[in-house]
Amino acid sequence: MSDLKYAYYPGCSLHASAGEYDLSTRELFKRLSIGLTEIPDWFCCGATPAHNVDELLSLSLCAKNLELADAVEGDVAVACASCFSRLKFTQHTLEENPTKRKQVEKAIDAPVKLDGKVKHLLEILAKDLGLERLAASVNKPLSGLKVACYYGCLLTRPTDVPNLDCTEAPTIMERVVEAAGAETVAWTHRLECCGANFTLSRPGVVIQLTNAILNSAKEAGADCIMVGCPLCHGNLDIRQKEIESVYSTSYNLPVFYLTQLVGLSVGLGSDKLGLDAMIVNPLPLLKEKGLA
Amino acid sequence: MDVRVKKKKMIISQETMDVDFVRKVEALSDTSVRRCFQCGKCSAGCPMATFMEHPPNRVVRLLQLGQWQRILAGRSIWYCASCETCSTRCPNKVHLASIMDALRKLSWDAEGPSKESYVQLANKLFLQNIRTYGRQYEMRLAAVFNVKSGQFLKDMMLGPKLFAKGKLKMFHSKNKNLAEIEKIFSRIDEMRKKGEAL
Repeated sequence: MSDLKYAYYPGCSLHASAGEYDLSTRELFKRLSIGLTEIPDWFCCGATPAHNVDELLSLSLCAKNLELADAVEGDVAVACASCFSRLKFTQHTLEENPTKRKQVEKAIDAPVKLDGKVKHLLEILAKDLGLERLAASVNKPLSGLKVACYYGCLLTRPTDVPNLDCTEAPTIMERVVEAAGAETVAWTHRLECCGANFTLSRPGVVIQLTNAILNSAKEAGADCIMVGCPLCHGNLDIRQKEIESVYSTSYNLPVFYLTQLVGLSVGLGSDKLGLDAMIVNPLPLLKEKGLA
Repeated sequence: MDVRVKKKKMIISQETMDVDFVRKVEALSDTSVRRCFQCGKCSAGCPMATFMEHPPNRVVRLLQLGQWQRILAGRSIWYCASCETCSTRCPNKVHLASIMDALRKLSWDAEGPSKESYVQLANKLFLQNIRTYGRQYEMRLAAVFNVKSGQFLKDMMLGPKLFAKGKLKMFHSKNKNLAEIEKIFSRIDEMRKKGEAL
């Protein structure tokens, strides 16, 4: 039994397009006996659109969510890289800038609480639970599966804010999935931007950037990609077929959430990982590797 | 603001340099444009530089010269993906991603002289959703965006597929604390009216 407990901030995507990330997170944490209590009445952090045009609004929305999180026992567990980045940015900015802190306190009509720790799921698995304990829970190692770990932008950048791992050469995703028994590949585009929320306003941009990422993963010999962000997932998975047809190529790279791959390794079934919600069907690959 | 400024020859003089605007950018972004020595590392790493008429280092150079109209008249700031690569790699700690935020805010306040309307529309709908529901519902966001931008068929092929996979929710609920969220918006509006915040 583990004594870890967290206040869970799923973020909007996990309640809609990334339902499988939410499901697999809850099931994995249950299996690992890590407590997860959803923050009551959490609301949108504002993501990129809010800080894009109104930083004060973005900081205030996040500060209010941190206040709600404070009422739940444990550090804040965040699944989405964008929510994670915004909450960490808020803590960082309000600590460094007293003027902005005062403005935010006025906007939320309460003192801001910055002592609570905000953690991405990767951090909880790699550091709080620890890789040794994680490896000890693995009963179905992902042997022979070659994974390209895709960080994207916001898990590690900028320096001093997320503090998840090294900014330009992180290894935390590789360490986690290797603890689950998989192999990882070295590739060039693991920290490049996928175009994120341009998927709504300028999909052409996303297709160009995401193609380069898929191409790099394929050339490195990966069987699949692992992500920790619903937006990256949307671009790599949902748009993959479209990208293949635009560039007349074939990638056929299933895109897993980290909780899905780790979940597989601890023996969770497909129904508890939401594998059927993935657009690029992972079952042929998993069958070939003897994992499904 | 006149968008034709883009095509005009740049003349650096007391009259054309607007330093007050640059001070606002510096206050909002909490960073100094004067620290930049134009090494170009930000533009070298920028995934979006190919889509911009002014790559990131030139945006900073134009700010140093007080020529902000040229930046706002173009689409560069709306093509920044906020990936934070520039801020991470700057040797002089110029937080360029925050400068881009500040420029977009000031452009937004001026009712966006920039022509990049799709990104602005997406941002606007996103913020409206927070006010109306508390959370984002992607289906609604995409549907309203398509209607308002006149691209009725955009991503039409994806819709049914996503729906079948349970990725699009037809119905959405409103947050119970919606009134409190609304107060955050209105308090910020009020502070700005009184001049207590930029």
